[in-house]
Amino acid sequence: MAPERTKTTWDHGFNTLRRERLFRNPPTDQSAYPALQEAVNPHIESFNALFRNDDKPSLLDHALAEIGTKTFLDGDERAAPAGKNKLTIRYKNVTLSKSQVPVTNKYAKRREIFPAECRERHVSYRGKLTATLEYRINDGEPREFVRELGQVPIMVKSNKCHLENNSPALLVDRKEESEELGGYFVVNGIEKIIRLLLMNKRNFPLAITRPSFTNRGPSYTPHGIIVRSVRPDETSQTNVLHYLNDGNVTFRFSWRKNEYLIPVMMILKALVETNDREIFEGLVGPASSKGVENTFLTDRVELLLRTYKTYNLYTRSQTRAYLGQKFRVVLGVPDTLSDYEVGTEFLRKVVLVHLGCNDVTEEQDTDKFKMLLFMCRKLYALVAGDCAVDNPDAVQNQEILLGGFLYGQILKERLEDLLSVGVRAVLRDYLRRNPTVSFTSPTFAKDFPLTIFRKTNENLGNALEYFLSTGNLQSPSGLDLQQVSGFTVVAEKLNFLRFISHFRMVHRGSFFAQLKTTTVRKLLPESWGFLCPVHTPDGSPCGLLNHFAHKCKITTEAEDVSAMPGILSELGVNNFSSAATSESVVVMLDGKIMGWCTPQNSKAVADTLRHLKVKGGHGIPLTLEIGYVPTSNCGSYPGIYMNSSTARMLRPVKYLALGKEDFVGPYEQPYMSIACVDHEIVPGDSTHVEFDPTNILSILANMTPFSDFNQSPRNMYQCQMGKQTMGTPGTAIRYRTDNKMYRIQTGQTPIVRAPAHNTYGFDNFPNGMNAVVAVISYTGYDMDDAMIINKSAHERGFGHGTIYKTKKISLKDDSRTRTSKTISKMFGFAPGSPIRASDREMLDADGLPYVGRLVREGDIICAWHTVSADYTGKLVNRDGITHWERYKESEDAFIEEVRVIGSDTGNEPLQTISIKLRVPRSPVIGDKFSSRHGQKGVCSQKWPAVDMPFSETGIQPDVIINPHAFPSRMTIGMFVESLAGKAGALHGLAQDSTPFKFNEENMAADYFGHQLMKAGYNYHGNEPMYSGITGEEFSCDIYIGVVYYQRLRHMVNDKYQVRTTGPVVPTTGQPIKGRKKGGGIRVGEMERDALLAHGTAFLLQDRLLNCSDYSKSWICRDCGSFLAVQPTVSPFIGKRKQVGTVRCRNCAQRLDQMEDLDLMKLDGEIWEDGQGNQWIGGENTTMVVVPGALKFLDVELAAMGVKLKYKVDTRDKMRRSALKPTAPKLLPSSVVVA
Amino acid sequence: MSGTYQPPNTSSRDDIKEGNVIYYTCGDCAVRVPLEPSAPIRCQKCGARVLYKERTKRMVQFEAR
Repeated sequence: MAPERTKTTWDHGFNTLRRERLFRNPPTDQSAYPALQEAVNPHIESFNALFRNDDKPSLLDHALAEIGTKTFLDGDERAAPAGKNKLTIRYKNVTLSKSQVPVTNKYAKRREIFPAECRERHVSYRGKLTATLEYRINDGEPREFVRELGQVPIMVKSNKCHLENNSPALLVDRKEESEELGGYFVVNGIEKIIRLLLMNKRNFPLAITRPSFTNRGPSYTPHGIIVRSVRPDETSQTNVLHYLNDGNVTFRFSWRKNEYLIPVMMILKALVETNDREIFEGLVGPASSKGVENTFLTDRVELLLRTYKTYNLYTRSQTRAYLGQKFRVVLGVPDTLSDYEVGTEFLRKVVLVHLGCNDVTEEQDTDKFKMLLFMCRKLYALVAGDCAVDNPDAVQNQEILLGGFLYGQILKERLEDLLSVGVRAVLRDYLRRNPTVSFTSPTFAKDFPLTIFRKTNENLGNALEYFLSTGNLQSPSGLDLQQVSGFTVVAEKLNFLRFISHFRMVHRGSFFAQLKTTTVRKLLPESWGFLCPVHTPDGSPCGLLNHFAHKCKITTEAEDVSAMPGILSELGVNNFSSAATSESVVVMLDGKIMGWCTPQNSKAVADTLRHLKVKGGHGIPLTLEIGYVPTSNCGSYPGIYMNSSTARMLRPVKYLALGKEDFVGPYEQPYMSIACVDHEIVPGDSTHVEFDPTNILSILANMTPFSDFNQSPRNMYQCQMGKQTMGTPGTAIRYRTDNKMYRIQTGQTPIVRAPAHNTYGFDNFPNGMNAVVAVISYTGYDMDDAMIINKSAHERGFGHGTIYKTKKISLKDDSRTRTSKTISKMFGFAPGSPIRASDREMLDADGLPYVGRLVREGDIICAWHTVSADYTGKLVNRDGITHWERYKESEDAFIEEVRVIGSDTGNEPLQTISIKLRVPRSPVIGDKFSSRHGQKGVCSQKWPAVDMPFSETGIQPDVIINPHAFPSRMTIGMFVESLAGKAGALHGLAQDSTPFKFNEENMAADYFGHQLMKAGYNYHGNEPMYSGITGEEFSCDIYIGVVYYQRLRHMVNDKYQVRTTGPVVPTTGQPIKGRKKGGGIRVGEMERDALLAHGTAFLLQDRLLNCSDYSKSWICRDCGSFLAVQPTVSPFIGKRKQVGTVRCRNCAQRLDQMEDLDLMKLDGEIWEDGQGNQWIGGENTTMVVVPGALKFLDVELAAMGVKLKYKVDTRDKMRRSALKPTAPKLLPSSVVVA
Repeated sequence: MSGTYQPPNTSSRDDIKEGNVIYYTCGDCAVRVPLEPSAPIRCQKCGARVLYKERTKRMVQFEAR
């Protein structure tokens, strides 16, 4: 009998044995936690769609078809195309191979490179991209050649990764987690993911009113229709229709970051052979219809038709030729095309590309024509007020830009760029250099593919690696996106919750982050079930950075809808269309107009379609979205808008009519009646019911126990803090080289948890500890969210954690321009160099640190020396100097691992090492902890166990928190958790904490209270307790229970900042900023105010002067200037510094410039400056204490021609006798402006 | 006070000779790989490119507090 398949269903129980077995023997068939993989799958599937393994055309195939054939001509550039030779070239296919060691490596037994090795070696996980190109000269025999386009990063667990479909056992074998999820890229050893972005819904005309539309020019109104049209290769082109004051409509598009405006009539006429009557009837409806009665519309359509007459373009070929003539340069088409052909090319590339962007047929042009008419009709309805604006911020009108698709867009653009721009430039250069050579000559045949291609920049891998490592998009077209940076983020493995959240995160776009309005951040009811209402950060990204509900899926594959036209026509969809929505409404599928039906019929059509869809077997895919918009009074434009495309959000709900699972999309959901729970079903109205009310919550929000008892912001805080917890990043920590990794040593499984905890396998990644928590004001050390930890609990390991830091030390020049391959440095001691014994014993003989050693600040962690090749090619050291790398941080650490990294060719000596340091971090006073209810606190004391209060059963709390933490925050969930945890601990039960399970009739307190009672405890969870100090019983009972506590990563050891003196800014003399550099914390205006208000002037002076830019300075009493004083130089004493003889140059007189100088008559001492000039006078100088910044200000103002004059009080004139105890006072007074 | 017990080092010059072999552990096949300084970094058995330095055999004792 074959072994049983690994079970994948989980309840909320501990499942200790099952989990332990899974952990000891990872399954060889499938993962026990499929939900986890499911959460990441959109990323992987979107990447898989780029290079498919099955027969269906991949995204890249579509892209190559759209890129098409490029044509180049030889001869003189300025000459007419006639008589020139033609070279046409196209991509035949592009393939990406899996990651492998280069062929030059003869030593590797295993040719594959696994992601774990890339992480360990701090390199990128990438594979070779190869393109087969085909070229023809003058329509001759097509010839093929192959080019390598560099190494392209590969998504882990995609179909180009070695880990695809690996069993957990195999994954462990390959140094991964048993539940490795993939979905990210490894770039320079760092895990990067491409963020999901919210985009406008594709192929759907959105009615928009935007004031900025009026900026396009005079007579432009704020009304417009935007359609984001997406090609089969997932690249998009946005088309906009603008309404003008006079009733005209303009078509706008962007091409290579420039905007172009065309009268919509020109596009209509260019698309099909038509006439004004056809356009009029297409917009208004046939003469018999009710649309004709709409005079608002007919007036404007008449004007639209009349104003177009000025162009004198009547036929399709005329119009296309006109368009072609105008857009020839913009599109960059070859000279061989006629104007008409360029016009056709324009329509193919720009206008409603989702309806045809490659070998466009007449039929497809008709579709585009019909769609454009519909858009105009909707625009007129919007202007007339018959149709409401669509909200682009609602998830209803949005879809997701998936990472793999974005990656494909960049790849496509790079490929196209290489073929058009790159090859053109190289060919032009070649022809200029060899003017006699034509495409048909034998020299060209010899040179063409290889020599010429070598000169192009064909390394696409670098471009993609740059994109992934920086998140910056370098694109000539902008890819129809609103931002150019911030596309990628590091998938931090701080703990598993944070890691998994990265994949479920969706951003609105960094453009919206700068917006001052908050409308985009609002939580709208449309998001129900798609975006989690709880899981969004507070602060600047609030509402822009959302997370998917845990049951929300994203489609990554376009469904087969070929049966739809037949079904629709059977259901009575026809071609009669009228502008009056009371007469006919549109039936649209993926932005293509399938027909029209009466509004009465439309509901029946939609209902039937849904029934057939859920029933199955009619060729209607289950994931088809059937957006039935009913006719309303000035509501959304009615119709049936169906969608089968990729990148949509979907969620499962139960279809009541059949009792089966149905998938619902965000567009249709607002028009449906979905009951939340079974007893809310309204007969005759509700069509669906939720499978579970917790489906609306994200994975993380589901982990908050009894979250329905809490005030909602507290649940938001918990979602934040869950991600900042010092948890368990995984089990393959040995094979990871993250810059910083946190780990909790004594993690436990929570007693109180939801079934989702097991479904997502979070027991493999413990995130905290069950703590006995007493809510009592006991010591006074628990004020203001401080908490007290039982010292014995601390000694038993409560909250003990570790930080792993990895330092990469490379002797190679790692700059992007790989300059030299020669080795100039080597690890180890320089042979023959004198080394102190104390230095020598810090390192092993190879110049690397001993594994297991303690390192302190300033210790040596490795040695290296310079080398150069001698005459035999052997590398020898010539200077005999050993250089050191030192450990710079102030915290003690241990050398955990030293990794010796070779090159992928396997023949380089040691150039790179990676040292993993372990910093033990047991909890100290000032470290931050939190429960799972947004109740964070700082440890204020480790209280000795003997002084802790104890209960009648002798239980001491591990943690004491202050009761004042509760009234204002209303985190009742924490009380319930405490109660449930206590009962669970007493009975040995795992408690189910799913929210929405209890209600007023079946109360949680009652349920757990009875459990406590059964265990012999107080029903309410209170217990009499005794003071640990006096042994007396407290006068009231204390609420004590078991709560899961998380240790947060914010620790005092990373934060404390203290200084008296230290580094200063050279210009002002004030302390520098920054903890890392030993700087100070600013005493700002508010702090100054507080000190003033307290009357603590001495403290204020200490902060602002003595500990800051205190400086003694000479000043002239007579002219009141800092800048004119200078020390005198004695001609006899040499350079020895003399104190006390400082003179004012301003008030002194220079002897050689004095007229009728009579040395006898001079009164006073003659002094000499540095140049040897002799002066007299200027003796009235003194020393004062001033802030350094004041002198700086004086100098700066002097540079602008502003003089500062200080009056020095005459009362503290310098004494020739003993010094006064106080420094002379300085009174800044009149500022003299020169 | 260094806190670390480091045995007294007798000779600092002698063991920095060329040809001093140090053992590393292969990350893939766990074999002990002897490497001279300036030898190419790879496992002699499987050609793996990541080697680990072995844990020191010297006594490592820390202040236990």
